[in-house]
Amino acid sequence: MASHGVARPAISVVRTDEQLHEEQQRIQEYRDLEELIRAKIAEEQYTVEVLDLTSKLLKENPEYYTIWNVRRRLLIYGLFSKSSDSSSPSKASQNTSPTDTTQTSSIPSSASTSTIPADSNTIQHDPISQTRGKTGTTLDLISADLEFLFPIMMKFPKCYWLWNYRLWLLHQANERLDWQIARGLWTRELVLVGKMLVKDSRNFHGWGYRRTVVAQLESQKLHGSSMVESEFEYTTKVIHGDKGLSNFSAWHRRSKLIPKLLEERQADDPTRRQFLDDEFDLIIAAMYTDSYPYAQSAWFYYQFLMTTLTDPVGHATITPNFTSEERIEFLVRQLEVLKDMLDGAEDCKWIYDALIEYTLCLSRMEERQLQIDEKDDCSQWLTELRKLDTLRSGRWVDLELDLRGNNIPGV
Amino acid sequence: MSLVSGPGRAGTTGLPEELRLVIEPHVKYIQSLDSRRDELEYWLTEHLRLNGLYWGLTALHLLGRPDALPRQETIDFVLSCQSDNGGFGAAPGHDAHLLSTCSAIQILVMVNAIDELEKKGKGEGGGKMGVANYIAALQNRDTGTFAGDEWGEEDTRFLYTGLNGLSLLHLMDLVDVDLAVQYIMSCANFDGGYGVSPGAESHSGQIFACLAALSIAKRLDVVNVDKLGRWLSERQVEAGGLNGRPEKLEDVCYSWWVASSLTMIGKLHWIDGSKLTQFILKCQDPENGGIADRPGDMVDVFHTVFGLAGLSLLGHPDLEEVDATYCMPKRIIERVLG
Repeated sequence: MASHGVARPAISVVRTDEQLHEEQQRIQEYRDLEELIRAKIAEEQYTVEVLDLTSKLLKENPEYYTIWNVRRRLLIYGLFSKSSDSSSPSKASQNTSPTDTTQTSSIPSSASTSTIPADSNTIQHDPISQTRGKTGTTLDLISADLEFLFPIMMKFPKCYWLWNYRLWLLHQANERLDWQIARGLWTRELVLVGKMLVKDSRNFHGWGYRRTVVAQLESQKLHGSSMVESEFEYTTKVIHGDKGLSNFSAWHRRSKLIPKLLEERQADDPTRRQFLDDEFDLIIAAMYTDSYPYAQSAWFYYQFLMTTLTDPVGHATITPNFTSEERIEFLVRQLEVLKDMLDGAEDCKWIYDALIEYTLCLSRMEERQLQIDEKDDCSQWLTELRKLDTLRSGRWVDLELDLRGNNIPGV
Repeated sequence: MSLVSGPGRAGTTGLPEELRLVIEPHVKYIQSLDSRRDELEYWLTEHLRLNGLYWGLTALHLLGRPDALPRQETIDFVLSCQSDNGGFGAAPGHDAHLLSTCSAIQILVMVNAIDELEKKGKGEGGGKMGVANYIAALQNRDTGTFAGDEWGEEDTRFLYTGLNGLSLLHLMDLVDVDLAVQYIMSCANFDGGYGVSPGAESHSGQIFACLAALSIAKRLDVVNVDKLGRWLSERQVEAGGLNGRPEKLEDVCYSWWVASSLTMIGKLHWIDGSKLTQFILKCQDPENGGIADRPGDMVDVFHTVFGLAGLSLLGHPDLEEVDATYCMPKRIIERVLG
């Protein structure tokens, strides 16, 4: 119903009788399969056979969220409790809401809560035996399901339900399996999401998924520790990769990691000052070497760095102990950098926009009015902005009003 | 796309054919959507049926044809999607989810049939309360955000749809609105935008969801208007259309997510409205109706409603005025919320 990027045929296509017939057959098969699954579930047939039926349907239509839910129920009410390593509270959870078994659950994962397995022949295995991957263990079921999902995710990387179901499976592993085994699964996810992000380095779901996977691998439950350093390195790698400068997702992630990174490094004030310098060097060098200063992603990261100087909300991010003199010193230096950047890039609106903003910032930080030469500069930069960027002329009108508030004559 | 205006037509509108809003083809296109049961695509999209009905009905309202779908059939269909737990699924027999539940309420409000829900509604407490209790139970009482359904996926989209549905039922007091507002604030980024959860990248769709939720909570005062306005205004590309994130392709649906967000913070004039209008109009199929993501692509009802809603925000004279928070006719929101 929501098609993206699908070309419309020049003439509307009329289906032949044969095509019509074929389509009716496919509809019938699809609906029969759907009916069959519903009937089996109504009979509470939580079996591998029914699981396979849902696989068949979901491969054709991964957006069918109700069938993903059917699959969840098949696992928690049926297959997990029947599996040979049933050491989980799955039987006990039969009469509770499924919400109790999702990530918000407080059900302990240890085997101590084990209840009587559905199959009286079932014996409990120690965690090590679970890794041997005997047919029918909870681990096998989860691993097989993760594998089943992978090609579908590669084909439909923007389908919310797929990412969501995958996370649910992994949380099931957290609750039902030994932590070492669960950790092993999450570790593989980091590799997988890395691959997905190579395929599409801006995939919104992929970046979100990466944050979740990392949070899990860092968690106490999985005996993890901070991954801030390696994640920060990952953003550096992506930024220096193909089209990296335009990868706002990577810049964004970097901005979020920095405060934690510096805290963990127990960075002292000179180190933090150096860090800020290095980040400015990185972004400025990137602007000069890549698509030169026309990529807006880089400008938003530049804005982030400037915010640590100009905006009280951002002060604590990198250099919390900067004196106002130090902030002004950095700001003045950046204004010079921006003016230099204009040389050869006179048609780059981002530079003019930044120059006006930070010139105004400087006067505010120095608690003074704009000086005559600053006023002249701002008027001139605004004239350039208006010429270069007519789409946003309404914004420039408002900017002019702001500047007039600073006693700038009309431009 | 070629300019198809002929000598006979130019005089009537003064605009090339492709830059004129076609009304009747859009109405017919939406009316035809439920008669396509001989196409596999119809069955493969059943998980969007109730959302689709909301999109189609809203589009018809904006086109000035609110009665173009049979009212009683609409009501009966919506009520047939309700689960015993009070939530609505996408179609009969589909599991309840907050996204379809919100659509159900919006549709019932548009056809003025909340009284039918009051009579026949399922769930704890029955009637309006049955649905409202379903929604309220999805709020995470520790963080303030909402899950989409019983399986626990959380996303600021669900926070918005939760508040949207409850406010239309006048039952907002069932949830902790202050906590929800705090959660949204924790999703704010340095660029002024918001993501799906704390730490997530700013995205125009999520920004709409967060601003609309703040608007319902009457807490737009917490927004960094200047920064967000600048970021949103940079979504407009040379072709006139808007993208959802920096350096992504333009797409008609962002005509809604971005333009409504700019409207809510009073900065719609920071983009070029006439260029955006032209872009949306170029995405129409002028013969068979419907609007696509980009010129020349396949149309669908999702892009049709968000294209029309965008045009309405921009003040298109042939369209009903849309409410930027609810994506429903302003007239109806005024009737319901006074």
